[in-house]
Amino acid sequence: MTLVVDILLIGLSTAVINNLVLTYFVGICPFLGVSRRISTAFGMGCAVTFVITMAGGITWLISYFALLPESALVGAINSLAGKTLVRDLLFLQYIVFIFVIAGMVQLVEMYVRRFAPPLYRALGVYLPLITTNCAILFACLIIAKDPKLAGNFVFALVYSFFGGIGFTLAIIIMAGVREELDSADVPAPLKGAGITLITAGIMALAFMGFKGMAG
Amino acid sequence: MTGTILLAVCVMLGLAGVFAVLLGWANVRWKVDVPLQLRQLQDALPGVNCGACGYVGCNEYAEAVFNGQAPPDKCPVGGAAVAQRVAEIMGVELAESYPLRPVVHCAAGYDARLKRAAYSGEQTCGSANLVAGVQGCTYGCLGLGDCVRACQFDAIHIVNGLAVVDYEKCVGCGACERVCPRHIISMVPFKAERMLVVACSNHDPGRAVRQVCTVGCTGCGACHRLNDLFNVTDNLAGVDYDRYDPNMDFGPVMEKCPRKSMIFVGKPSEKDLAAVAGEKLTEPVEADFRTSVDKTDFRG
Repeated sequence: MTLVVDILLIGLSTAVINNLVLTYFVGICPFLGVSRRISTAFGMGCAVTFVITMAGGITWLISYFALLPESALVGAINSLAGKTLVRDLLFLQYIVFIFVIAGMVQLVEMYVRRFAPPLYRALGVYLPLITTNCAILFACLIIAKDPKLAGNFVFALVYSFFGGIGFTLAIIIMAGVREELDSADVPAPLKGAGITLITAGIMALAFMGFKGMAG
Repeated sequence: MTGTILLAVCVMLGLAGVFAVLLGWANVRWKVDVPLQLRQLQDALPGVNCGACGYVGCNEYAEAVFNGQAPPDKCPVGGAAVAQRVAEIMGVELAESYPLRPVVHCAAGYDARLKRAAYSGEQTCGSANLVAGVQGCTYGCLGLGDCVRACQFDAIHIVNGLAVVDYEKCVGCGACERVCPRHIISMVPFKAERMLVVACSNHDPGRAVRQVCTVGCTGCGACHRLNDLFNVTDNLAGVDYDRYDPNMDFGPVMEKCPRKSMIFVGKPSEKDLAAVAGEKLTEPVEADFRTSVDKTDFRG
């Protein structure tokens, strides 16, 4: 029972309260760049959710088995040497995570292309674009840093999955607002990027209302 | 310390090895057979995924071309060279394309328009078009310069109340065509530097046209009788630009037109330039806003 409650709390907290885009301001480039139409925004959101869940799980495994002070690899080296030869490999986090995300995206792209051509066509160019989406790296780093998430594989998966859901939510709301904005009379100096950033700011303000509800 | 460095190197090398094997295996195992033509198309396109062709990325456009759903000349980044290459790969003839340039289908300056009334409302064509009786002709140019404001290239100006395109500066973006509330600007394929156009948009019968304009087309059909390149529909002459040939002799038609509605527009020819080269141009006089007060114009 407590596991279910924990999972629900982590999910709600990541998707809505600590929304990656609107609270931490990561993943802003696709958030502004691909939010012109709801359909494409949904495609991007799905692709990000997919990759972020995979990357979150795999980077958790790598952290757990190779990078953390108590990990299997570091422990084995130290017991072989008989003393504390290596404290941890946490300084490798960034490079390893970027490496894994890029590799994952490649692999996922090949897999989807071979076995789900309709999905491949639907995702289009967004799939390779995710390689450089900072929201995914951010989620991986948070998972490695947060003691509650770092100790539990299921929690890590739930965190990354709902991080992607939160991204999808934010980008779809943004796309909906922007579709309506197309027919609005926007003052000339604010047209384009200006009004988009103001909209994003107001949305972030609205999401601040959830602060303090949980986690 | 050395141990940490060595271990870090080993971990990275190990990961690189694992991913190299994994990706290499996946590349072979999950290979998708892409037709040679499609691969060539993908290589021929610039690959910047800008979306200017109307497709999400270069690959999608390549697929559309491959499936015959898109013409080969839709990539504005690659321009003519890429269009040529794409057409070559697909084995199709590249349709000869001409630059589209706007043509103002009205030739009536202020002195040619009849039944004009004083208009002191907001000085835009869009507003003036809503009011009846600004001028007799309900089709012609209003001369309040919506097109001038829409043009980002300073390529259209109001001369004696009539919009005149500066073809030296025009890039053919079509902004003036979209903004004109009376739709008298149309984009014409410029097969030559100078094109013959019908400079009138009035669909009213001849008698009604004569009452509001001294130069408007009455739909008499004289041009059609001389040359079937011209047609008259709804009391207005038109030119069939699909069959237009710049080398045709349009002299008789222009001579015969009783209203002189047939005019050449475009960049001036060398002969014209030579004819006016010796003439001394009068210095343009700029209005001095400190001394001259325009009482009639209310700029809202």
